[in-house]
Amino acid sequence: MASDATDRKAISGVWYAPQTSRAVKATLRLEDGERLIARDEAGAALASCELPAAAFSDRVGSIPRRITFADESVFETNDNDSVDQLMRPLATRGAGFVHSLERFHPRLAVFVVLVALLAAAIYRFAVPVLVEVAVLVTPPVVPELLSSSTMTTLDSTVFEPSKLDAETQKEIAEGFDRLAAASAGGADGYSLNFRKGGHIGPNAFALPDGTIVLTDELVEMANDNETILGVLAHEIGHVDHDHSLRQIYRAAGVTGLILLIGGDVGAGVEDILIQGSALLQLRHSRSAEAEADRFSIELMHRTGHDPLAISRFLELIRDKLGDTSESDFLSTHPATPSRIEETKRYAEELTAAVPD
Amino acid sequence: MDTQDERAGGPPADSMRREQFTFTGTGREYFGIWIVNILLTIVTLGIYSAWAKVRRNRYFYGNTRLAGASFDYHARPVQILIGRIVVLAILILYNLTATFVPVASGILGVLFLFALPWLVMRGLRFSARMTSFRNVRFDFTGGYGGAFLAYILGGLLTWGSLGILAPIASQWMWRYTLDNLRYGDRPIDCDPRLEKLYGQFVMPAAVFVIGLVVVVVLGVSIFSLASGIGLDLEDFSSDFAVGGILLAIYGAFLPFFLLFVLVSLLYSAGARNVALSETVIDGQHLLASHIGRWRYAWIAISNFFATLFTLGLARPWAAVRMSRYLAGVTVLYSAGSLDDFFSTVKQSEGVVGAEYMDIEGLDFGF
Repeated sequence: MASDATDRKAISGVWYAPQTSRAVKATLRLEDGERLIARDEAGAALASCELPAAAFSDRVGSIPRRITFADESVFETNDNDSVDQLMRPLATRGAGFVHSLERFHPRLAVFVVLVALLAAAIYRFAVPVLVEVAVLVTPPVVPELLSSSTMTTLDSTVFEPSKLDAETQKEIAEGFDRLAAASAGGADGYSLNFRKGGHIGPNAFALPDGTIVLTDELVEMANDNETILGVLAHEIGHVDHDHSLRQIYRAAGVTGLILLIGGDVGAGVEDILIQGSALLQLRHSRSAEAEADRFSIELMHRTGHDPLAISRFLELIRDKLGDTSESDFLSTHPATPSRIEETKRYAEELTAAVPD
Repeated sequence: MDTQDERAGGPPADSMRREQFTFTGTGREYFGIWIVNILLTIVTLGIYSAWAKVRRNRYFYGNTRLAGASFDYHARPVQILIGRIVVLAILILYNLTATFVPVASGILGVLFLFALPWLVMRGLRFSARMTSFRNVRFDFTGGYGGAFLAYILGGLLTWGSLGILAPIASQWMWRYTLDNLRYGDRPIDCDPRLEKLYGQFVMPAAVFVIGLVVVVVLGVSIFSLASGIGLDLEDFSSDFAVGGILLAIYGAFLPFFLLFVLVSLLYSAGARNVALSETVIDGQHLLASHIGRWRYAWIAISNFFATLFTLGLARPWAAVRMSRYLAGVTVLYSAGSLDDFFSTVKQSEGVVGAEYMDIEGLDFGF
């Protein structure tokens, strides 16, 4: 290679004394093989140092390159290629490699595909794994805190003490205890709470520590203890599968990844991504509902109750609340035809497989 | 005060040299940097994001040229990485607390509101000190009080008055960010006058009111049309219906949102014109900005949709397009040589604030 010739070739640019803005037209060259010298147009030396003592700024696109001498004076040039040649004797670090990746080249199309595949793989595989890990390492105190604060908030804002008569409460509670005893958490793992629902109306929900809330309105609407037990079994299913924790972690994880990896996508687009991922959460909440439905059917079947109770309840919602249309679709327990069919099919399958 | 008003108000003297800012980056060149940044960030599980930020900033600063020289960005990736880790840890902690102990999150939120000006102050200082032009670093001398005024009170004022007092907030904001900036050992003065800011406020406000009427009238007629046909959402299969309703909800908000974005763009462009045109460097060099407000809004909005519809691939082109436009409408009238500035900043700390602004997407548009 003609390395001797390139050594002698001068790079033209400007030179700045340390900390000043006065630009002096100058040339830079490597003299005697390893001494870097900047000279002004008259040939007078402005600054010099051994090649390894000079700091070269990384090459980014075709922006000017900065070479800082040991005395902190700076030589600046647009001649990136010559600077690269000058640097060749130095052990090149990663930056030159990164620049070669960034050059406009058909290879970039491969990178686009790689990014798309990796992003999809992260969403599909890494996020669920991270969520599982997070659920596993979450100490029990976390769901307890979360649940007690949610209960306190709800009690002070929407709920009133239950107006149900003691006998109904007792009957439901006894059924609930039998279901709980047959579940993973055992009789102590879950607690049933009766409340008057106020404007949230007929509802039942589970908090991650096993607190299950049943509103008077739902008891009145169902008007049948077996159906209510089907709903409670569904809620126990949510607790056993850690659905609410998973949902929180998934939302946090996806948002974090978008912020971290998104890089320069522009502010508006970033917001769209986060909103979009929130919409995708709905799909997960639906699969969680289906999972809790199946859990209810299994648990009811196992404890000698009617596995079709949850289907009956869904039909009840459809018939009684169906005409309140829109809000219903967005609720956490949508009574959709496909869901009703699915629960019936599963209940039949289960009873057929294990004949009593 | 007086001399400054004369300068800021009157046209630049004939003896002044007009130096045009230019942006020399290209979408083609930035595309490679951009995609490699994303790829390496994913492959390194996010660690490369610090290097990515430095390369991105160096590309944009280095391609912004004025009077034959370019800007440069000097932050070291490791600094940025540490800052990011700290900010991420705090954000995670905050979000966890907010989720699990809602009561505590209220207190934390208030604490945070008071910590924000400090973060902004440190962030602006870090960014200024990491920026150089002709081998001389910028510096930022703003304090906590100014940041509190500009970012907390200003925000409250704008929202509380439904935007009517926005010019007061932008006066505080530009004063804080630009008047406290120093180039080397010399001060930069910026005192945008309120009447001029209000002058930029009229057109966007009118657009907002007219737009609001149009959106509401259109919305009501479309809605009544749809219910007239008897669009029955319950007939759809379940998943589709959820999608449809969400679309309807987003669809209803979208026009208001777009209107709001358009008006903010129009106003902020006007405010930038006013603020930069009343900025004086070292008591003698004058900055000027003459953004076309509609053109700016068009570029911003079309950039957004181009990026969205190309699944992000047009982002490099869009980013370069905006930088090119902003550089092209910014001018420096120099009264003399730009040779005699001295850097006074050598060391810098406080990367946490800068990283907070970066992660939260706070943008100061300078």
